[in-house]
Amino acid sequence: MVPHKVEKSSGKDDTHEPEQHSRLARMANWFDSRLGLSYELLRPAPRYSINPFYWLGALAVAAFVIQGVTGIMMMLYYLPTPTQAYSSTQYILQNVSYGRFLETVHFYTAYAMIMIAFMHMMRGYFVSVHKKPRELMWVVGMVMGFVTLGLGFTGYLLPWTVISKSATDVGVGMIDALPQPLSSFLSFLIVGGGGDSTELLRFYDLHVVVLPAVLLVLLVGKMYMLEAHGISEPVSGSSSIPEKRTLISIFPDVSFYLLELAALFGSAMLLISVAFPLNLPPQYSPQLAAQYVAQPEWYFLWIYQILKISAFEGAGLPIALSLVTLTLIALFLLPFIDRGETRSIVKRPKFVTLGMIFVAEVAVLAVWGFITPGRTISDEQAALVLGGTALLVAVLSFVTYKLLFHGLSGRAPSIAKGSFGTRKSIRSAIMWTTACFVFLLVVGTLAISSSINLVVELIWEGPSIARVSSLGLSLIGLSLSAVTTMYLLYRLDLRRGAIKRRIRTFEVGWKK
Amino acid sequence: MSELPQRMNGRIVALLLLLQLLSVYFLWTLNPVSEVGEAIFALYLSVDLVSFAMISHIFRVDKWKGSIRRATLVTGCCFLALLLLFAAFLL
Repeated sequence: MVPHKVEKSSGKDDTHEPEQHSRLARMANWFDSRLGLSYELLRPAPRYSINPFYWLGALAVAAFVIQGVTGIMMMLYYLPTPTQAYSSTQYILQNVSYGRFLETVHFYTAYAMIMIAFMHMMRGYFVSVHKKPRELMWVVGMVMGFVTLGLGFTGYLLPWTVISKSATDVGVGMIDALPQPLSSFLSFLIVGGGGDSTELLRFYDLHVVVLPAVLLVLLVGKMYMLEAHGISEPVSGSSSIPEKRTLISIFPDVSFYLLELAALFGSAMLLISVAFPLNLPPQYSPQLAAQYVAQPEWYFLWIYQILKISAFEGAGLPIALSLVTLTLIALFLLPFIDRGETRSIVKRPKFVTLGMIFVAEVAVLAVWGFITPGRTISDEQAALVLGGTALLVAVLSFVTYKLLFHGLSGRAPSIAKGSFGTRKSIRSAIMWTTACFVFLLVVGTLAISSSINLVVELIWEGPSIARVSSLGLSLIGLSLSAVTTMYLLYRLDLRRGAIKRRIRTFEVGWKK
Repeated sequence: MSELPQRMNGRIVALLLLLQLLSVYFLWTLNPVSEVGEAIFALYLSVDLVSFAMISHIFRVDKWKGSIRRATLVTGCCFLALLLLFAAFLL
C-alpha cells in the first residue's frame, strides 16, 4: 500500500529560525516516519461511490454497531442458564426501561444485518468485485458472512423459548450429520458435553465474545485491504463521466454520506420495531417442544428445505449437507474459479445466470420452507420446483442477453459526450427504468414461485376452487409482468434499435 | 420547479435543528417502561435520525455546489410530519 502524503503548511515564515526549524523538522520527520502522522488515514473516494450499493458493507457494520450497543445493554440483565434465561429475557421485556424496545431493535437489526450481508455478497458477485487484486477481500468477506450467520444462529437460542430451542436443535442435528471428525469437533465446540446448561453457556460465549471479536478482527483486515486497493470501479458507463471520477475526502464528505445512510437505516429499524413489537413465545420444555414443528430461522430455511426432500432423509442427509457445503465452498473460492479479466455483466453470461439461479433457488426454497413447515417434500415435487425455477431463470437470462446485450457488444453508451442536461435526464431515465425493472422482477419472481407451487399442489393434492383461483391470479400477475417487461424492452431506445427489429409482434400493435 | 433556491437551505436546516431539539426534549418526558412510551420514544428518535440525515444531505449537496431537489426535501418533510402525527396519536 502506498500511503498518500498530505501537503501541510505551517503558515509561518520558516526562514527566521533555520536551526530550530531543522531540528524540529528532523524530530518531526523522525516521528512522522515512524508513526505516519502526516499521512491521510483513509484515501479519498471517487465521486461515483456516493451510491448506497457501494456501501452495503458499511450498512452491515452500522447494523453490527446497533447490535453491539443494544446487546451490551441487555447483557446487564440477561442470565445464561436454562432456568433463568427465559425469565431474565421476560424481565428485560417487561421491567427494564425501554427493554422491549432494545430487545426488538436487536432482533430486527440482526435480521437486517444478515439480509444486507447477503445483498452485499450478491452485489459483489454480479459486479465481480472478487477479481484481481481483490481476491482475498472476497474470501475475508465470505468468512465475515459465515460469522454473521453464526451470530444469528447462536443469538437465537438465548431467550430459551420453545421455538428458538427447537430451531437450534435442528441446526445442531445438521452438525451431527456432518462427516467425522468435523462433526465431533463442531459438537464439542458449540454444544459441549454437559447438556442444556453447557450448550446455552457456549452459545452465549460465542454470541457475545468469540464471534463479535472474530468479526471485528476480520473487519479491520477488510478495511485495510479496502484502503490498499481502493473502491472498485463501476461496471457501468457512469465512471466515464469526468465529474464522477473526481475524488472526495473521506471526512467530512464520505463520512457524512455514510452517517446519512446509517441514520436512515436506524430510523427504518426503529419504525419496524414500533410496527411489529417483539412478543416472547412460551418457555422451552421438552413436553411443549413435542407439540411444535421445529423450523429454523428464515436465513437457514433454504438449507432446511433441501434436507426435507425425501431422497435426502435418513442416510441421504450427509449427501444433502455435502451439496450445500460444496455450493458454499464454490462461493468461497469464487475468485479462483471466475478468473476471467472482464468484470462486465454483459460479458459474463454464465456466471451471471448461475448467480441469478442461486438467488432464485434460495428465495424459492426459503418461501417454500416457510409455507410447508415440517412436511417432507417428495423427490418429484422437488425436481419439478427446483428444476422449473432454474430452467425459468436460465431461459429468462438467455432471452435477456439475446435481446438486450446482443446489439450492444458489451459497450456502454457514451454518456460523457452529452451535455450536462442530457446526462441528468439520462441519469433520471436510468433510475426510473431500473426501478420499473426491479419492481417487475420482484412481481415476476413472486408470481413464478407461487404459480409453480400451486401447479405442484394441484397435481399432488387435487384441484380446489381456492387453488385454481389462486393459480389464475398468479398466472395473470406473471403474464402482466412478462408483457410489461417486454413492452418496456420494446420502448427502450438501445441506440441501435435491436429490440425494435427483433420483437415484430409488438411493432404491429404499438408502433406508430 | 424541481430544484430549491439556495437561500432556503439555511432556513430548512434551522427548522430541522429546532425539530431535533424539541424531539430530544420530549424524549426525556416519556415513561420508559410502558409499551406506548417505548413506541413514542422510537418515533421521536426516528424523527431525530431523519432530520439528521436531511441536514447532512443539505450540507453535502451544498458543499458540492449542487442543487437540492425539491422532491427529496418534500418527501423528507412529509415523512417527518407523518412520524410526528403518529407520535401525537399515540400520546
